Amino acid sequence: MNHFALTIVGRDRPGIVSQVTEILFDLGCNIADSSCSILGGQFAMILILGHAEFNCRESFGNAFKPLEEADLTIALRVLKPGGEIHPALEGEICMVSVYGADQPGIVYRVAKILGEKQINITDLNTKLVGSEERPVYVMILEAVLPAGISEQDVNVLMNPLREQLQVDISVRTIPTVEL
Amino acid sequence: MAVRSIRIYPDPILKQIAEPVGALDDTVVAVIQDLVDTMVDAGHSVGVAAPQIGILRRVIVVDVSKSKLGRDNHHGLLEMVNPEIIEKSGSRLMREGCMSVPDYTGNVLRAEHIVVEFTNRLGQLRVIESSGFEAVAIQHELDHLDGLLFLDRVSSLKTDLYRRKQ
Repeated sequence: MNHFALTIVGRDRPGIVSQVTEILFDLGCNIADSSCSILGGQFAMILILGHAEFNCRESFGNAFKPLEEADLTIALRVLKPGGEIHPALEGEICMVSVYGADQPGIVYRVAKILGEKQINITDLNTKLVGSEERPVYVMILEAVLPAGISEQDVNVLMNPLREQLQVDISVRTIPTVEL
Repeated sequence: MAVRSIRIYPDPILKQIAEPVGALDDTVVAVIQDLVDTMVDAGHSVGVAAPQIGILRRVIVVDVSKSKLGRDNHHGLLEMVNPEIIEKSGSRLMREGCMSVPDYTGNVLRAEHIVVEFTNRLGQLRVIESSGFEAVAIQHELDHLDGLLFLDRVSSLKTDLYRRKQ
């Protein structure tokens, strides 16, 4: 089985998912992993596909032409073997919420501090909420804490940003329970 | 008295609705004892519901007193027949794992405080107030009686569901 990453972006409307997945079904593609969401006014799809015979971009032929004609933007990436396998991430999972008055650099400054400590961001969502006059920026990210870094350490790492950006930052791990 | 094997999803029994218990006879007492034995045998477990051992009757056992999260706030061993939550309030997010769904854990929002009514092993009607981890455990086990797994309670596959550490 060879794997591909397919991304599709276009103005949101009903029917995009069915049009895309019908083409994939007819090609014989498996959707192994996917995340699709509306961002702004755009519907964005990211799919990891598997196919028993296809091994390059050309294998897909003109299959995506109807999507381009429907004003969707398509990108296809051929994955190297193993590129479809989710890595085993060791460590506690930590959620960081950041919110405050909108300003440039919120995502970058938080990500820079985490990256410098080898803290792997595994999920990140941002949204602009509040009113037009007083926009509020909200970011929620999930990160895996490497050995030796605790929730409390991350909390302390965020202190300079609370001061510089005047934003509220909460850091929490969610207890795992066996029931 | 017996330790029973835990049914694992996709065993269809886990998605069925359990029958209420009528008279509290010896067969019910035997189910309670099997649930307790199974829970104790699975050293890490704080609760088991009858459907998890293949019995479609409304019986659960919960005991969080031995766990770190529950040891300061608990009712000890709870053997609950026909349990019903009659009041709930507040909310608490925990990442739940379930013996019937190995390999994955999921973030589930549960009520923080509950009032639950049930019949105990002696056939007496009891009403208790529970909160914190014990309340979460009761809600998790009670879901099993209605054919619900934590997978029915997560809202996002990407941010709520995790592959368990190997």
